[in-house]
Amino acid sequence: MSVLEARNCSIRFGGVQAARDVSIAIGEWEIVGIIGPNGAGKTTTFNMITGFYTPDAGTIWYRGQDVTGLGVHERTALGMGRTFQNVGLVKGSTVRENLLTAQHLKADYGVLAGMLGAPRTFVEERTLGRRAEALVEILRLGDLLDTQVAGLPYGVLKRVEVATVLATDPDVLLLDEPSSGMGPEEAHRLGDTLLDLRREFGLSIAMIEHHVPLVVRVCDYVYCLNFGQMLAEGKPEEVRNHPEVVTAYMGEDAEDPAVQALEGQLESLVED
Amino acid sequence: MAVTAQEPGAAEPDVVTVEDERADRTFAPSPLGWVARGAVWVAIAYVVLVLPLSFEGFEVQQFSQAVIYGIIGLSLNVLLGYVGQISLGHQAFVGIGAFASAYMVSVQNQPFHVAVLVAMAVGAGQALVLGGVSLRIRGLYFALVTLAYGLVAEQNVFQIEELTGGGQGQPAPKPGGFESDWRYYYLCLAFLAVVLWIDWRMLKTKGGRALLALRENPRVAATFGINVRLLNLFAFVVSGAFAGLGGALLAHNDTFVSPEVWNFNLALVFVIMTVVGGLRSRVGVVIGSAFFALLGYFIDKFTFLEDLLANIPGTPDLTAELAPLVIGPLLLLLTLTTFPGGIGQQIRPIQGWLRGGRFDLSDRGPKEVQISDVRA
Amino acid sequence: MEALKERRGAVAGAGIAALVVVVLLATGEKEALVIGVITGAAYGLVALGLVLIYKSSGVFNFAQGEFGTVAVFALWLFDDKVHYGFALVGALVVAVVFGLVVERLIIRPLFEAARVILLVATAGVALLAIAVEIWLGDAQGKTIARAFTKTDRFDVLGVQVSDQRLLLIGVLATLAVVLALFFNRTNLGLAILGASQEPTATELVGISVRRLSSFTWALAALLGGLAGVLAVPEADSFTPGILTSGFLIPGFTAAVLGGMTSLPGAFVGGVLVGVVQAVATSAPVFDDIPGTPGTLMVFVVLIAVLAVRPQGLLRKAA
Repeated sequence: MSVLEARNCSIRFGGVQAARDVSIAIGEWEIVGIIGPNGAGKTTTFNMITGFYTPDAGTIWYRGQDVTGLGVHERTALGMGRTFQNVGLVKGSTVRENLLTAQHLKADYGVLAGMLGAPRTFVEERTLGRRAEALVEILRLGDLLDTQVAGLPYGVLKRVEVATVLATDPDVLLLDEPSSGMGPEEAHRLGDTLLDLRREFGLSIAMIEHHVPLVVRVCDYVYCLNFGQMLAEGKPEEVRNHPEVVTAYMGEDAEDPAVQALEGQLESLVED
Repeated sequence: MAVTAQEPGAAEPDVVTVEDERADRTFAPSPLGWVARGAVWVAIAYVVLVLPLSFEGFEVQQFSQAVIYGIIGLSLNVLLGYVGQISLGHQAFVGIGAFASAYMVSVQNQPFHVAVLVAMAVGAGQALVLGGVSLRIRGLYFALVTLAYGLVAEQNVFQIEELTGGGQGQPAPKPGGFESDWRYYYLCLAFLAVVLWIDWRMLKTKGGRALLALRENPRVAATFGINVRLLNLFAFVVSGAFAGLGGALLAHNDTFVSPEVWNFNLALVFVIMTVVGGLRSRVGVVIGSAFFALLGYFIDKFTFLEDLLANIPGTPDLTAELAPLVIGPLLLLLTLTTFPGGIGQQIRPIQGWLRGGRFDLSDRGPKEVQISDVRA
Repeated sequence: MEALKERRGAVAGAGIAALVVVVLLATGEKEALVIGVITGAAYGLVALGLVLIYKSSGVFNFAQGEFGTVAVFALWLFDDKVHYGFALVGALVVAVVFGLVVERLIIRPLFEAARVILLVATAGVALLAIAVEIWLGDAQGKTIARAFTKTDRFDVLGVQVSDQRLLLIGVLATLAVVLALFFNRTNLGLAILGASQEPTATELVGISVRRLSSFTWALAALLGGLAGVLAVPEADSFTPGILTSGFLIPGFTAAVLGGMTSLPGAFVGGVLVGVVQAVATSAPVFDDIPGTPGTLMVFVVLIAVLAVRPQGLLRKAA
């Protein structure tokens, strides 16, 4: 049984059919890639899965439970963690504060009790603090704990965001372009990190990605979207070489041997 | 501040380090520095705790009012500063709390502490109902619903005879054991301390953190598992409870509550004193609120000020009554456009110094971040 | 049929309006109906100004009422010195200048700030204006002449309709239509809408966002000024802040009824609010409510609309 599934989801905004009959399944401990040109509906699908949009048609299932009617925070409580394209952090707060806030559901005291100084609160807060420090260790964020998030470099922000989403103790991670802004070296290390995280935390991962080598290396299964519809799905290599996928990315000339040769050269450069 | 990461080609994983020239964590004041700081602390304690004793009773009432305004400012700060919602009808919460407390003591013959609790509950209750209806509409619409509520309170609720004693107003005697103005002043200070403490604890725990997150970015807050709507409502209820407390204390300070004072102008005074005090700065808000509470008093007391204001060339007398009406909005506009952090931001260097750090003039607090605003 | 479905808000609005008229005529509340329409016209004018600024920058202009009060004070100042016509124009000029000053000194520095902060800022402006009005004028009520003195031009259902009132309604209706066309058809109007959503793109295309902002505020100030000089002379007297205390909340409710972005909606909303308030004030069934029921009823309408259909009654189904 899959951990998280979108079944036949469609949604429309005004005159635009952003997603039509999209079905995506993430199996236990799978790493699933979602690729496609810009505007293909990838983030829209994420938004439907995580609850920011309600699909016009179709359902979302989490471990066999229909969660289509649940709110975003309720899905987080169930175990969905999500990152954003433009970095989902509270920029006015420090890294530590973000990590503590993200543990909102794990803090084992009531909001009111916390306000009134119940003794349990102090104990819990120390636990939360230790967890924050542990996450900072894992993500190699050094001594950034008390630095304000706004103003940190983009690459660092993405790592902070990963730490934060891990703080919510998810079962499934939905990452929106985790490698954006990274060069080939960094992207390679990101791949290692993802594999480590899967192993250490027992996570299932779905990621929207543009970085083809990363997808090929790390993903167990890939979905390709275009114009809001599923174009192809399957093992990474299959999808990557699927003619329609190539056309979608490269345009009509994709079949041209010269273009293919160029593509091959680029990839071998990147793979080093 | 410099953030460095190691070379991409290095074998070591890139650990990020921070070189912060300003965050000199090993700084400790010299013995003389400690003495200086201690002296200032003592001076502050003297002004707040001892100085009022040398004034006349009715002046001490003014000081009590300043303290109570501090509580009201803190209540509005929870809403405006922590959550980013505004209440333009806050005077209704305070006023209804005042009448509730007076009613409990005068008509129902309940002891003071029961009356105060009722006032807080009434304040919280109003917020619950009003918020329940209107908080799913953020920002603008919520602000104007609170405004309309304030007007309805002014024109309809405060005309209810049983509650407000009709045109006569409602008596509200001081509680037993605190009849003298000075004792009541210390009682108010104690309440202020409690409110400050609760506010402090809130921010140090998940409730306050959730509020600050949802103020800046509700989508991200939801991803953190925060029930945005519920916490929004919660903040409003807390704000209402504190406002009700302020109202109760005001009632017994004046020993009398009448309906006329709770008008829209007061709502704006509350907003102004909170914003000028400095959103999200507890100390700033208390100072700002006290300042506005005492403004008329200062102008009366220091006649040179009164003369100054009366003699602005080319204009009629700017009387002591009128001056706060003009000065208030001017300060507000000045704060918003030029000194966004208000008094609270300006005193940050002093606060840092008093806590044993360096006196850092460049400390301007956390960088202001653009709110991801959802238009109504 | 499809077109009707799209505009089901407008159809519903028209239906409600027709229903209200029938009920009022049937129950004999004819006066309330007429008075309501007249005061509603003034509310509609205030609402137009609110919607204009909200549409273009997402700001709720708390000082919209004060554009009117300032104009009225100016009119009163000028009236015994020059011919009424000049005084009227002068008053409107004062309002426009006020609007431009506010835009330059307050709005522009806060361009990027949270909309709540801007609301607080415009509230500060309104408050300052009222304080200055009290200071330089005085708190006493003053009277002011009408533009046209004939007070009994018509007799509609038992209520005298003066020329002034006709003028008010006429101006409102014309403006609502003109502004709607402006935003939908002219380049400048579209530019204003575009700038509110994509300021960077607008600048890149060569349109100065700053100039647009000034223009919008000048226009809103003009609307506010018109509301003041047309509506206030009807009243027995005016006091500092009158357009804020008496007109801002109903004006806002009217704007909300129109979905906060529909100009014709603001017009219709204004009339509806006026009628509700007039009925609430005069109908015997409301006599038991302590205090004045008019505000309460407007508040109830506001809450009801916001709870049930926050996008307004007259918007196209989104």
